[in-house]
Amino acid sequence: MKRSPVSLALRYLGLLAVLAISIGPFLWQFVTSVKGPGEDVFVPDFIPDDPTLANYGAVADVVPVWSFALNSLGVASVNVVTNCLGAAMAGYALARLRFRGRRFAAVVFAGSILVPFEAILISLFLVMRGLGLTDTLTAVVLPGAIAALNVLLLRNAFLALPAEVEEAAIIDGANAWQRFTRLALPSVKGTLVVVALFSFMFSWDDFLWPLVVLSDQEKYTLTIGLAYLQGTFVQNQRLVAAGTIIAVLPLILLFLLLQKHFFRGVGEGAIKG
Amino acid sequence: MTHRPYTPWLFLLPGLVICLAFTIFPFLNMIVLAFTDASALGGGQFTGVDNFVRMAQDPKFWVAARNSLLYMVCVVPPLVLLPLLIAMLAQKAVPGIGIFRTAFFTPVIASAVVVGLIWTWLLDSRGLVNNVVEALGGTRIGFLTDSTLLLVSSMVVTVWRGLGYYMVIYLAALANVPKDLHEAAMVDGAGPVRRFWSVTVPALRPTMVLIAALSAVNGFRVFSEIYLLSGGTGGPGGASTTMVLLIQSVGRGLTGEVGYASALSLVLFVVLLGLLLVTLKLNRREDQL
Amino acid sequence: MKRRTFLAGMVAVPVAGCGLSGTSNSGSSAGGQVTGEITFQTWSLKPKYTDYVNGVIDAFQQQHQGTTVKWVDQPADGYLAKVMADASAGTLPDVINVPPDLSFPLAKAGQLVDLDEVARDAKPEYLENAWQAFEIPGQGGCYGFPWYLNTGPLFYNKALFRQAGLDPDKPPANFDELEQYALKLAEKNIAILGQTPSIADFGLYGVKLFENGEFTFNEPKGVELVESYKRMYDAGALIPEALTQNYTGAGTKFMAQQTAMNPGSAYDLGKFKTDAPSLYANIGITTPITNTGSANMFLHGVSVPKSSKNQATALAFGRFVTNAANQVAFAKLASIFPSTTKGGDDPYFTTEDGSDEARVRVAAAKQLKTAVNYTPVQFSDQMREALLQQLADAMLGKKSPKEALDAAVEECNRLLK
Repeated sequence: MKRSPVSLALRYLGLLAVLAISIGPFLWQFVTSVKGPGEDVFVPDFIPDDPTLANYGAVADVVPVWSFALNSLGVASVNVVTNCLGAAMAGYALARLRFRGRRFAAVVFAGSILVPFEAILISLFLVMRGLGLTDTLTAVVLPGAIAALNVLLLRNAFLALPAEVEEAAIIDGANAWQRFTRLALPSVKGTLVVVALFSFMFSWDDFLWPLVVLSDQEKYTLTIGLAYLQGTFVQNQRLVAAGTIIAVLPLILLFLLLQKHFFRGVGEGAIKG
Repeated sequence: MTHRPYTPWLFLLPGLVICLAFTIFPFLNMIVLAFTDASALGGGQFTGVDNFVRMAQDPKFWVAARNSLLYMVCVVPPLVLLPLLIAMLAQKAVPGIGIFRTAFFTPVIASAVVVGLIWTWLLDSRGLVNNVVEALGGTRIGFLTDSTLLLVSSMVVTVWRGLGYYMVIYLAALANVPKDLHEAAMVDGAGPVRRFWSVTVPALRPTMVLIAALSAVNGFRVFSEIYLLSGGTGGPGGASTTMVLLIQSVGRGLTGEVGYASALSLVLFVVLLGLLLVTLKLNRREDQL
Repeated sequence: MKRRTFLAGMVAVPVAGCGLSGTSNSGSSAGGQVTGEITFQTWSLKPKYTDYVNGVIDAFQQQHQGTTVKWVDQPADGYLAKVMADASAGTLPDVINVPPDLSFPLAKAGQLVDLDEVARDAKPEYLENAWQAFEIPGQGGCYGFPWYLNTGPLFYNKALFRQAGLDPDKPPANFDELEQYALKLAEKNIAILGQTPSIADFGLYGVKLFENGEFTFNEPKGVELVESYKRMYDAGALIPEALTQNYTGAGTKFMAQQTAMNPGSAYDLGKFKTDAPSLYANIGITTPITNTGSANMFLHGVSVPKSSKNQATALAFGRFVTNAANQVAFAKLASIFPSTTKGGDDPYFTTEDGSDEARVRVAAAKQLKTAVNYTPVQFSDQMREALLQQLADAMLGKKSPKEALDAAVEECNRLLK
């Protein structure tokens, strides 16, 4: 491959251009969160005159960030596990196994993507109540435990695997579960990482459902906790901004850690490893 | 047969149970309401197809349906193509690439309110863009106050927010493109543009179809972008309203007309399901090739 | 309730709460003993007022041995969804903090305890206009103990007034002057207002809003107000975003110094101080413009759902939270006002100490004696949106002011059913 300095420079130029259009909101939030008390919040000004980290301390005083974050972390972690495993199983069946009713199953998952959550909120609450699960973290986890979107993502990933590998395994007498865990799953690591990231993110960001289903404040997740920064008579946009930064920081770190693994696809998974 | 007949169902069981119990079943519950005059806290006489008759005569419904359709048609092509280009740009592991990739992803995790704030700051009547326009001698443009321009502005925000999200899906899919295909094409003397169309695009086809389907569904179901840019309304006089905006404005709160809102949701669902079945069919044809 | 039957019919698993319709339930009657546990839900008071609320709860528990009050505070964002879900499942907390526009639909659906029936003696303790705000007009019954009140001054931006050559110490005092000022400001490319008139603005203008079970704000006086706004809009005295802006949006524009005037609440002053210091330096404060002599008022209350299993304790607590002493103490912490008859006599609300806050407070307290909650309780979110959209069409000239108001009134009356 040719690797001229010109093409590298062009690549960086392109990267910088995309960076410039992406980074705005994050920068805005960050700048607002370090603004001192004498500065206007609603007038955009990307260089704070009097930067301070005091707002972050103030958030921690107002909201028990750590205990809420722990609840969020628990819910999000369980979500990652259930999604990676459950969606991979379903995706594998849809992509690699032949059976009657496959179309029906595909339509159930596709249909689930289409249902707008707001429309079923109350109805779903009644179901949870019927199951006696309201006000539990289980109820927070369940509706998104195996997201249909993840099933379809993994189905696509399994579809891309060359058929020959599995055919050899079939001849060797491996059953479906063995082929799934030993051959298929390691080959789609990249997509699994994406699914893990998305599951963590959706669960971490979810606001309305945990709010509706939980009553006991001990169980509240971080997004609900941070909503208290917008109190009835007291609002300080600097604290709100600091709160949002605290909320997205784990996601950014997670992304930074995971991004190089998006490529653990066919090449690095099944064949080399 | 390489497996017992019930084996696939064991694989599918957890996923199906979750989706059926916590999405499809509550949704079926809601569909029943589409044939009633239920309000949020009572009422609920069976009214047959009254809600659908009302819908056919409701000018707001037709405005919303037209806008949603238009929205979908306009956002799908850029959302299928642009994130792919960005993914290819961000694919190569040059120094510092992690920072770039992460930065590209931040619009996806930024809070909706902040996204609204920053785009309003750019586009409103005294916004940055209008200040530049005026400085150059032009007249201020109603990006957020003209009902058509408001739709266009929202589409721009939708595409912008989708860049990082779909980029991630493409990044994972690009890894599945066998390297030897590229090398073979290079040996044949194909340039980068030829290789993109003859190697990358065909290999990514299922992912592109999936992203087209997702962005179409999300485009038809657009809500937050218009909501945030129009201060919680569907534009001046409601002229930029979309299906989901209409549904939530009809059904919102303790005073909502839940029956009618459910009927609207049902129509939305049926349209989208039709759309999705078509794409699934297209996708299936790909599988068999 | 029919809806719940429907859902219960569909939901295969037994949904225990669904059979518990609001009207049929009677765990214990309102006249029972004040003892046992209740849950009290407030609207976004944590963490700033945690100590205050806990203090009230402790005092109540001391006074009534054997009672336990469990306090849950819900953030403002999503409060409505939470109440809706609980109302649908028949699981509302025993004492809930709701404004009249939430208590009205709940009461209409028969989910709230009628205080006229079970706590009639409480009525004289509260301001008449506050008590009235929780009544269902034409049907009788009161469905919430009035809690805190608010009213506010009209804020204006002195710097923008100066730019247009207007005297920053002479803000407009009536609607005619408002239009004159608006046109003057518009000549200098400055917008005066960030929103089209709300239903309360029609009330302040002296328009008859509701009569004999029907909305009537399309009467000539209403048309007159819209015509005035149309002239201002055409001159550029409303920001273009006014056509779609709600109250919060208009407030943000005022803080960004894009509009010169904005009606507000007493606690907005604190918000300006923290979020928009350079506006705060130029803030002008004046009394709201009204043709009726009465300012507008906002209020919150506490209601007891019929589904409560311990209504006696819930009622006792609701009344305790909203009694004069507790309200005055609360008002001193937050920039709000007590809704009890005696509350306003506290020197805190009658003497100035020279600060802007005190000036706003004293003026507002005086204003509240005659203030009215102009927004009719029947005026739902859907109706608000209908009015906003019709006014946008009127401003854009797609409809005449009269046509727009007629259409808005027709839609509101349809929604009223």
